[in-house]
Amino acid sequence: MAATNGTGAQAGKQIPPGKPMSTEQHMLDKGAQMLQSLKPIKHMNQHVCTFALYSHDMTRQIETHHYVTRVNQDFLQCAVFDADDSMAHLIGLEYIVSDRLFETLPPDEQKLWHTHAYEIKSGLWVNPRVPEMVARPELENLAKTYGKFWCTWQTDRGDKLPMGPPALMMSPQGAGIGVVNPVLVQNRDDKYNISSDALKTARVEIAEPEWLNPQADYWKQHNDKGFAVEVETTEMEKRASFP
Amino acid sequence: MEGVNVSTHPEIPGEPIQTRTALLEKATATIQGFGPVNKIHQHLCAFHFYGHDMTRQVEAHHFCGHLNEEFRQCLIYDRPDDDGRLIGLEYIVSEQLFLTLPDEEKKFWHSHEFEVKSGVLFMPGVPGPIQRQDLEKVAKTYGKVIHFWQVDKGDNLPLGIPQVMMALTRDGQLYETLAKDVENRYDISFEKERENRAYIKGPDHGIHPLANAAGKGLQTVLKEVDCFKEGKST
Repeated sequence: MAATNGTGAQAGKQIPPGKPMSTEQHMLDKGAQMLQSLKPIKHMNQHVCTFALYSHDMTRQIETHHYVTRVNQDFLQCAVFDADDSMAHLIGLEYIVSDRLFETLPPDEQKLWHTHAYEIKSGLWVNPRVPEMVARPELENLAKTYGKFWCTWQTDRGDKLPMGPPALMMSPQGAGIGVVNPVLVQNRDDKYNISSDALKTARVEIAEPEWLNPQADYWKQHNDKGFAVEVETTEMEKRASFP
Repeated sequence: MEGVNVSTHPEIPGEPIQTRTALLEKATATIQGFGPVNKIHQHLCAFHFYGHDMTRQVEAHHFCGHLNEEFRQCLIYDRPDDDGRLIGLEYIVSEQLFLTLPDEEKKFWHSHEFEVKSGVLFMPGVPGPIQRQDLEKVAKTYGKVIHFWQVDKGDNLPLGIPQVMMALTRDGQLYETLAKDVENRYDISFEKERENRAYIKGPDHGIHPLANAAGKGLQTVLKEVDCFKEGKST
């Protein structure tokens, strides 16, 4: 297990603040773990490390660690963390759909999604510790998919606790504001002792998807526009008083 | 409305997993480390409703890990089974940490006192006395829940934008049908457990008036913005 953290990195120790775990809590957790089946968690069987950019400010870029569950051949769900160790922060969720499912979505929905072809072909997307030969067939599948990633904890800007509404994330691309800072990539490569550049060369034969829906990667076709989620106060529809 | 508000499980369109893919994932699962996931130690069941609409209620299965004594992070599934859909996440903080949040942030967080004391929040499969040791702590905490998949609406795929969720704060809010469904499935009685938990205390300083959206509704909206800040080129 790599000792270093990803993006949450430097401040990993102070984020979040709080007292260290008590022995009692450790015992309670251990007990619960023994008694409970925790089934959905056991189906996470792939760790992907890649990068993401905030849609509302693509100069802010993060290293991400996706723990992926494949629900069927066309749909995957991921818990996203900022590092790969036991102190990693849960920073969001990503859903991944095949090109086939993506084409069934309404255009207004499609604009929230990003493509995966570039980050896979360019070697940015890796399965840490998995030999490239083993990962290859899955990479070929995933190169044609689309993802929707919401970030709920902006540890990259030093948020000690999760703050504000969720942020939509975009994927790295080969040009313009979609290019990932090489320093970020170098740090990641050093951590896993890999070379994204070498992977890029090795992945040349992975087929480029014949069609990438232009509603995805919204900024590309829309003059570098992105999306932000805001929260408004309204009247709540109720069935009893609140709170 | 009553009666229609029963938990639903989305039928996700898509082909069954191919054998080749399944084998690959066996391989990656064997080779790779799952540090953050291995940290998940407990399963809590409760209900959430939409920040703008209490009449839409969802059964939520939380799979939580502690980052320290005062902080838990949880993945939320629609059911605790092999085919559970990952529909959201929750952060749970101690009262002390909650009080450090800026006022503007506090509205996103809900109190847990009523959920615990009413017996509705529980740990499936864990004996009452053991559960209560942990729930004594939970009753004093605050949670921030975001759902990304509106399974109650019948969405077979996660559509639209994230939703801020709230939790039960008093009697009369939860649909009887939803409550009964869970009680039957887990062979428990919320009412009986409520008596067992009568001694449990909420936050030391009382429930903060700005928590639970200060009693208002919260609605997320999507805004188109400029994503070009400093300028970069290749």
